[in-house]
Amino acid sequence: MKKSIILSVAIVLFSVAGFSQVSGKLVSSKTHIKFFSHTSVEDIQANNYASVSTIDQATGDVVFSVPMQSFEFEKALMQKHFNQEGFLDTKQFPKAKLKGKITNLSEIDFSKDGSYNAIIEGELTIKGKTNPIKEKGTITVKGNVISAAGTFSIVLADYGVAFEKGKPSTNIAKKVEITVHAEYKPE
Amino acid sequence: MTPKMKKILKIGAILLIAGLLIGGGTVLYMFNMPHRNVQSTAADFSVNASQLVAEYLENPSQANEKYLADDGDSKVLEISGTVTKISEDFNGQKVVLLKSETDKAGVSCTFTKETNQNVSTIQLGETIKIKGVIRSGASFDPDLEMYENVVVEKSDLIK
Repeated sequence: MKKSIILSVAIVLFSVAGFSQVSGKLVSSKTHIKFFSHTSVEDIQANNYASVSTIDQATGDVVFSVPMQSFEFEKALMQKHFNQEGFLDTKQFPKAKLKGKITNLSEIDFSKDGSYNAIIEGELTIKGKTNPIKEKGTITVKGNVISAAGTFSIVLADYGVAFEKGKPSTNIAKKVEITVHAEYKPE
Repeated sequence: MTPKMKKILKIGAILLIAGLLIGGGTVLYMFNMPHRNVQSTAADFSVNASQLVAEYLENPSQANEKYLADDGDSKVLEISGTVTKISEDFNGQKVVLLKSETDKAGVSCTFTKETNQNVSTIQLGETIKIKGVIRSGASFDPDLEMYENVVVEKSDLIK
């Protein structure tokens, strides 16, 4: 009798622990991705608020799916160029993707408020071209809201975006800065 | 210099100046060209959210060919559907999800600072019609392990 009570208490405790231990994926559709290019001629930036991201707290998998036509520029002509074939060819490649893994997952406690440094290793695919990345980011836990942020730079030529001559070759940086921010809430 | 030559020179100079003005004006206009006003553009298609999602899930490349434009000024759609979620993005813009309960994905419609206020009258569960520009289609993403919604932006409520 005593044994069975202890056993059932243990089972209940285990299952409670199992459920409270963040098992599922965190999903975010509240995101901001910024593209920034600096040259001595001009600064160009574009903003995207329509990406979707997931973080798997158990495995450390991080994914960002970015609808390329959602990048907005101040100047309409720049936005048109950005979408066209010579640049990002967004009709053929409507989405870019970041797929990585948090390599220092053990240092991040998703259930405890705080700000944690995260190292993400994986690959980035833009315009159908995939390159490895290894970047640093920050994961912030505040109550039941978890956010991720990071800034890194990419070399445009690595993704088949290169300009030999004309205005784009002087006005667009060879290396552009990407800033990522996402807010995850339990579904 | 004969009077005839003078005349030719004068006409030439006028033409040159006119050409420069027109050329310069065009370059200036191109450079400062305003963004397309989606709401004042006539809709290319009128669809319901379920149809649009189904088109994308069945044949994504055909749907992209139909709806997306090379220069990013993709098709302007009027979409009717059931409101299942209302949220706000990082830019302070309201986002209304049109999705039928039985569908795997829906249509996510981002409003603008100018049209945001029209969202206040929208109720969950209501069937409404929204006009906006399509940015990307619906698909199952094996890495996210979930269905992604169609993305529509520059939206406003159509009465």
